[in-house]
Amino acid sequence: MTDPIPQCVFRAEDERYTLADYQGEEPRWCTGCGDNAILAAVQRLCRDEQLPPERTVFVSGIGCSSRFPHYMNGYGFHGIHGRSLPVAEGIKMARPDLHVFVSTGDGDCCSIGTAHWIHAIRYNMDMTVMLHDNRVYGLTKMQVSPTSPQGLQTKTTPRGAYLEPLNPLTVTLGVANASFVAQAVDWIPELMHDIIESAFHHKGFSFIRVLQRCPEFLPDMFEPWVQDPAKTLLLVHEDGLQPSPSLSKTYKNQEAHDPADLTRAREIASVEDPIPVGILYRNDDMPRYEEIRPTDRSYTPDTIKGALEAELDKFTIAPANGGEDEDTAKP
Amino acid sequence: MSAEILELAGGKSPDAKLGGDRDGAAKITPRPALLAGYWNLTELRYDYPLVLVADDTGVSPVRSLTAVIDGVLREIAPRGAEGEAARKHVLGIEREIRGLLSADAGGTLSELWGRAKNTLLARAEGAAADVLKENLDRARSALAYDGEMVDCGAETADTLIEHIWKAVQADKIRRLRGKIEILALRLSDILKADAMQSAEARDAESLERSVGTSFRDSFDFEAMSRLLIEAPAGDPLPEERRRRIGDALSVLDSQKFFAPWDGGEDTETYTFLFDSCAAAAEAFQARVAEMVALVKAISIAELEVENGYRESKHDPLFSGFDENALSPEDIASFPSYLVRLSAGRCEPAEKAHLIELLSSDLPVKILARSDDLLEGLSGKRFSFGAGMSDLASLALGQNNAYVLQSTASHLYQLRDRIVDGLTCPGPALFSVFSGSAGSNPDLPPYLVAAAAMEARAFPAFTYDPAAGADWAARFEVTGNPQAEADWPTHRLSYADQDLQTIAQDFAFTFVDFVACDPRYAQCFEPVPADGSDAALVPVSEFIDPEAEQAAEAVPYVMLLEDGGLVRKAVVDGRLIRAARRCRERWRSLQELGGIDNSHARNLLASARQAWEDEKERELAVLKGRPVEEPEAPTAEPAPAEAEAPIEEAPEEVLEEPAGDDPYIETPRCTTCDECTEINNAMFAYDDNRQAYIANPDGGTYREMVEAAESCQVAIIHPGKPRNPNEPGLEELIQRAESFM
Ligand SMILES: Cc1ncc(C[n+]2csc(CCOP(=O)(O)OP(=O)(O)O)c2C)c(N)n1
Ligand code: SF4
Ligand code: SF4
Repeated sequence: MTDPIPQCVFRAEDERYTLADYQGEEPRWCTGCGDNAILAAVQRLCRDEQLPPERTVFVSGIGCSSRFPHYMNGYGFHGIHGRSLPVAEGIKMARPDLHVFVSTGDGDCCSIGTAHWIHAIRYNMDMTVMLHDNRVYGLTKMQVSPTSPQGLQTKTTPRGAYLEPLNPLTVTLGVANASFVAQAVDWIPELMHDIIESAFHHKGFSFIRVLQRCPEFLPDMFEPWVQDPAKTLLLVHEDGLQPSPSLSKTYKNQEAHDPADLTRAREIASVEDPIPVGILYRNDDMPRYEEIRPTDRSYTPDTIKGALEAELDKFTIAPANGGEDEDTAKP
Repeated sequence: MSAEILELAGGKSPDAKLGGDRDGAAKITPRPALLAGYWNLTELRYDYPLVLVADDTGVSPVRSLTAVIDGVLREIAPRGAEGEAARKHVLGIEREIRGLLSADAGGTLSELWGRAKNTLLARAEGAAADVLKENLDRARSALAYDGEMVDCGAETADTLIEHIWKAVQADKIRRLRGKIEILALRLSDILKADAMQSAEARDAESLERSVGTSFRDSFDFEAMSRLLIEAPAGDPLPEERRRRIGDALSVLDSQKFFAPWDGGEDTETYTFLFDSCAAAAEAFQARVAEMVALVKAISIAELEVENGYRESKHDPLFSGFDENALSPEDIASFPSYLVRLSAGRCEPAEKAHLIELLSSDLPVKILARSDDLLEGLSGKRFSFGAGMSDLASLALGQNNAYVLQSTASHLYQLRDRIVDGLTCPGPALFSVFSGSAGSNPDLPPYLVAAAAMEARAFPAFTYDPAAGADWAARFEVTGNPQAEADWPTHRLSYADQDLQTIAQDFAFTFVDFVACDPRYAQCFEPVPADGSDAALVPVSEFIDPEAEQAAEAVPYVMLLEDGGLVRKAVVDGRLIRAARRCRERWRSLQELGGIDNSHARNLLASARQAWEDEKERELAVLKGRPVEEPEAPTAEPAPAEAEAPIEEAPEEVLEEPAGDDPYIETPRCTTCDECTEINNAMFAYDDNRQAYIANPDGGTYREMVEAAESCQVAIIHPGKPRNPNEPGLEELIQRAESFM
């Protein structure tokens, strides 16, 4: 109905959210874990956007990274291994008004959850998905992951990983309806923040692969890139990232890349060194599943019961003679 | 009647023959000769009958049979010879359906289609029957619409407007119900979430109850309860909030304005269909308290689901929430009331209620139907426009309600306007003349209604107060035939006694409309065929104030007698006076609708006069003295702009305190916890959860250097030792070198 209160009164009295309003439990990740940086960036985004905590949902699967929802103060769904995306889709379908964020690991997303990942890209539902890619299974203490480099010795591959790693960026860019693909690294917080911000504002499935350090099991994995800025290729564009002058001073290796250019995006995505950082692809016109198939009504317990009963009534066995002689009717 | 119909009826000239000898005293059943072509309506394709489309989307709740059939033809009968047979067959079944309806058969389009098809097939034989059947079956599957069919008759306006109202209402209810359902769901979610946090919900027994029977044995509910009770839970809902949510929920759940969901039991909900304004007003008043409660509950619910209810602010507001707090939008979101007044006179008390409703904000839609416009003419006062037929002009005076006046014949053309009136938030009046008083058994109501429109006896107009701020935006007289003219003119062609075809234009006036009605036969005196007609002038000319009239002029009208003969008839003086009044009324409507508006005319005249005077003056001036050239501007060329030195944008300089103080490049901090783990007095996180040096003296230089070493992005710069007496400084200073 009409708001009985003038809006300005609301504004004046309403308190602004601070970062602390988004902090949940004390993080239990290892010191130095890149997940901390992702958490800080997301909390900053929520604060900058002033998202009411009760309007946010953080969904995850299983893994170190999937502990993310515990550390946010909002709705959370710490799901089952590989299934964060179907859960997030269900939430978005039922509650399109909520801001949905997904944290998933490289094992969670690219191994056991691959089928869901591929189809979630196709569905293109509005959510921000962060693939915490540390190139190893952290929670299960260093098992090989689909993104582990070839030759990496792990508990499950003592003689070194046999296969070429899977590239989450090229995979995502190859699926129909992909609408936002970006890459961030946990050690450049400014860019991570800007990328998550663009992803959040993109209407559709925003997929960010975050290269995330796991000092516990792979302390040297990203060292060359952390140490040498020349090994990072910043993708800059007026429709993409615009790094600050001071950052550009350090990260001089830059390419002007239009996020609308899918072909170039695929080329960039397939390069492993230097690491591309920025928005590879964005298309705001992709159809979104929650818009194609909106639920135009709410499902109250009563409506569900009514619909179920109507459905089950179809299987009622009517007496063959039209019910005239009930005694002799056989089911 | 529309030009279209005239065209359809045309082509078979002459329409009639001029009457021959006849004894003047004999009674005639007069009809206006101009209607000659329209007697058999079932042969014509026009707006009626209508299909009241049976779906509740409310998109196009009504279609004319002609439009539906045209749609079918477009689909199955290609233009030209190829589609000829199919076209013939489909138009044939259309004619058959019209026939069935005019013979008083009712039913849906599909039912009537079935019956018409059987009749046609029974008439056809052999191979022709097969082709017919095939064409009709194809056409049947291309039928895009189905629903009850109505022809133009006494009840048409009632049925049609009720049908459209129901579609509009269903749409409105769907929206309000959707909103209430979602709010109720969210409110109960809040209560449920709270209940699930409570100790009771976590005790073994209720945990057991929450698991179905199948796997009950697989769980140790005691253990589960122990674990869950230890788990942190949020604060319980404050008692006051719980009560508020509960109250709002129960109001939302118990409202009676519509059934709770599609297909739900609809026994207890209110009716919104009335047959008097008094009853509707009374019902509205009786429900107002419930409406206030529901609006209040919805407003509270909207605040609660957003967690935006602040007791200090909202409690005082809601405690004083009463009828006055209802906004027009609130009221408009509720179902609207439809009042169908029975045809005939409107009692003074009822009229008072009607005026009151029309000047209110209430969503009341009133249908006033008149069946007989000429009732008053037969009385002594010889007045017309009595009874209900003047209600629309009365409603216009309120300036507040949506008003639509039309004859039943034109309702289809005005269907979008009907929808507008029914969807607008406030009151609306639909005044309709049905043409069904049955005074002339030969004339179908459609023709009488169309004749009333044609003769300006009951012109169409709409007044939409929401369409703009002035009459130009709000008022329209479109829909009337030849609306620019006093009367519409049509060509009448007939054969004279020498069998010469004569074609002559006649205006269709109020007198022609009266001539449809046998009650007024005595008002027309047929002119003997051999009589002199030198003094006779057509009615339209006779009453035209701008036309010069001979003193001995006598008004006549062209009538059609039994046997298809046309004859001039002299018109009773009282009828002429009524026709004059009718034209006056029409002229004021025209003015309101912007046609030949007298104010505009006067303004235009004075503007033109002023312009002419001005020109004259200018001319005089020009003649008096030579034209002076306006001085050419002698602007000096602007001095060339000095080239501005291109200024470099100042580069953002990173703060790098060059001194001996320790510092962190905070924007580059990755929140990895390394330094804060070492000493959280020395290192702390800022508002963005990025580290800075909170207190350089909060720890030792050793800790500072160790932090710099563990910082993986190497952004901690330890500076110089603060305490010269710290042990091992020399080595530490050396280690710190690489972070300077
Ligand atoms: C169905 C299932 N299979 C296996 C596991 C064991 N498991 C737990 S976490 C994990 C992998 C996590 O790796 P990743 O997704 O990369 O997350 P990280 O811990 O590295 O952040 C596995 C295999 C499980 N919990 N459930
Ligand atoms: S094991 Fe690796 S991924 Fe997991 S918390 Fe520790 S550092 Fe992070
Ligand atoms: S060690 Fe470095 S990156 Fe980590 S929190 Fe401290 S300053 Fe930030």
